[in-house]
Amino acid sequence: MTLDRIRLIAAREARAERGQPDGIVSAATFVATLILVESLAVGPLAASQPAVASALFWIAMAFAAILATSRSFERELEDDAIDAVLALPGGRDALYAGKAVALTALMALVAVAGGALSLLLLSLDIALPGHLAIVTVAGVLALPPVVVLFVVLALRLRSRGALVPILVLPVLVPQLVAATNGTAAAMSGDMAGAFGWAGLLVAFALVYSVLGLTIVATALE
Amino acid sequence: MISTTANRTSALRARPFLGAASVIALFVALWMALVWSPPDAAMGNVVRILYVHVANAWLAYLAFVVVFLASVAYLWTKRPVFDAIAVASAEIGVLFTGLTLVLGSIWARPTWGVWWSWEPRVITTAVMFAMYVGYLLLRNLSEDLERRATRAAILGIVLVVDVPIVHLSVTWMNALHQLPSVLRPDLSPTLDPAMLASLIAMTIAFTFLYAYLMTARVDIEQRRQARLLAVRA
Repeated sequence: MTLDRIRLIAAREARAERGQPDGIVSAATFVATLILVESLAVGPLAASQPAVASALFWIAMAFAAILATSRSFERELEDDAIDAVLALPGGRDALYAGKAVALTALMALVAVAGGALSLLLLSLDIALPGHLAIVTVAGVLALPPVVVLFVVLALRLRSRGALVPILVLPVLVPQLVAATNGTAAAMSGDMAGAFGWAGLLVAFALVYSVLGLTIVATALE
Repeated sequence: MISTTANRTSALRARPFLGAASVIALFVALWMALVWSPPDAAMGNVVRILYVHVANAWLAYLAFVVVFLASVAYLWTKRPVFDAIAVASAEIGVLFTGLTLVLGSIWARPTWGVWWSWEPRVITTAVMFAMYVGYLLLRNLSEDLERRATRAAILGIVLVVDVPIVHLSVTWMNALHQLPSVLRPDLSPTLDPAMLASLIAMTIAFTFLYAYLMTARVDIEQRRQARLLAVRA
């Protein structure tokens, strides 16, 4: 695996997304819809509580990451491009890392859009905007290593649309708990709490990145 | 390629002995748990559910660690017997994790006053249950023998991370659930000696039961593998 190949795959993803931006459009629309529907379901007063607003946002982000990653691999499968990538020396690791990098960038854009929508719709007060940004970056970083790995595991399986969330969401529990608590801490002015949860998110991202890079080649055999 | 055919292993020949040992050990353990061991000073006879609840939880841990070891062995050797061991252990693990949750809930009602509590041990156990149900789903949705075994082995390795999280969750977070009373960091159990002996007896009985169920399920899986390999040939 070389950095060039990772860059190549990430750039290819970006080009495909520019040409046909269905990944980002569907992910952003999904996040917006879920935030709206969930806020309506629990009521605007409850939804504007820091803990509730954070949870709604990160649950929507987790589902959107699954949606975007699944769409990205569907695109590869539709034109059999995946076989060409896998045939490259080191192509399997590069595919995992490249997809993870591309998904991180995509989810960062979705987070900005979804976050702005939440702020606007729920009139949220942010006590520590800088800390909120740090937690959000860490939370976004923690999503792709897990989601890409599990989408790869379910590749070419029937009913994978239902299977991937079933596999991913229990594994994402630490990410969801840490991101929700970290975001709520940043919103309510708890500086130490926000940093602590952000650190946990970074550790989670590192552990699953290493695990993914170690075993993804076998998964793609 | 899977390089070996599925053969009956010598362990399967021990099945009748394991069955007999399970029955005898369960009778002895039940007598110790229900008759011999004293009631708890605070909980009274309700404490007796501890013996099956803890033994179930132990078996769930054991089953998922075996899934992990068999998964590593499968990826290392590509021998189908390890895949058979992994699926057998995962199914037994899911069954006993489910029973742990149900028995825990029954125990929680008289002691905590609720059937279900959002506390760390309960939640992490429920998450572990969901993870391994997903593992079994992944297996069932995959038709190719080799790919299914490889994917399942990878998942079996990834999911084992939750086992220590479940065990240590009560020490990391404030919890209603009591702290570990046997597998403690200082290796000094906090239980009454008669209660501890009953719990150990029940755990041994459940371990025999696990071994018996494993041999039966591994046998079924190996027959299935042989049938699939025969169809493919």
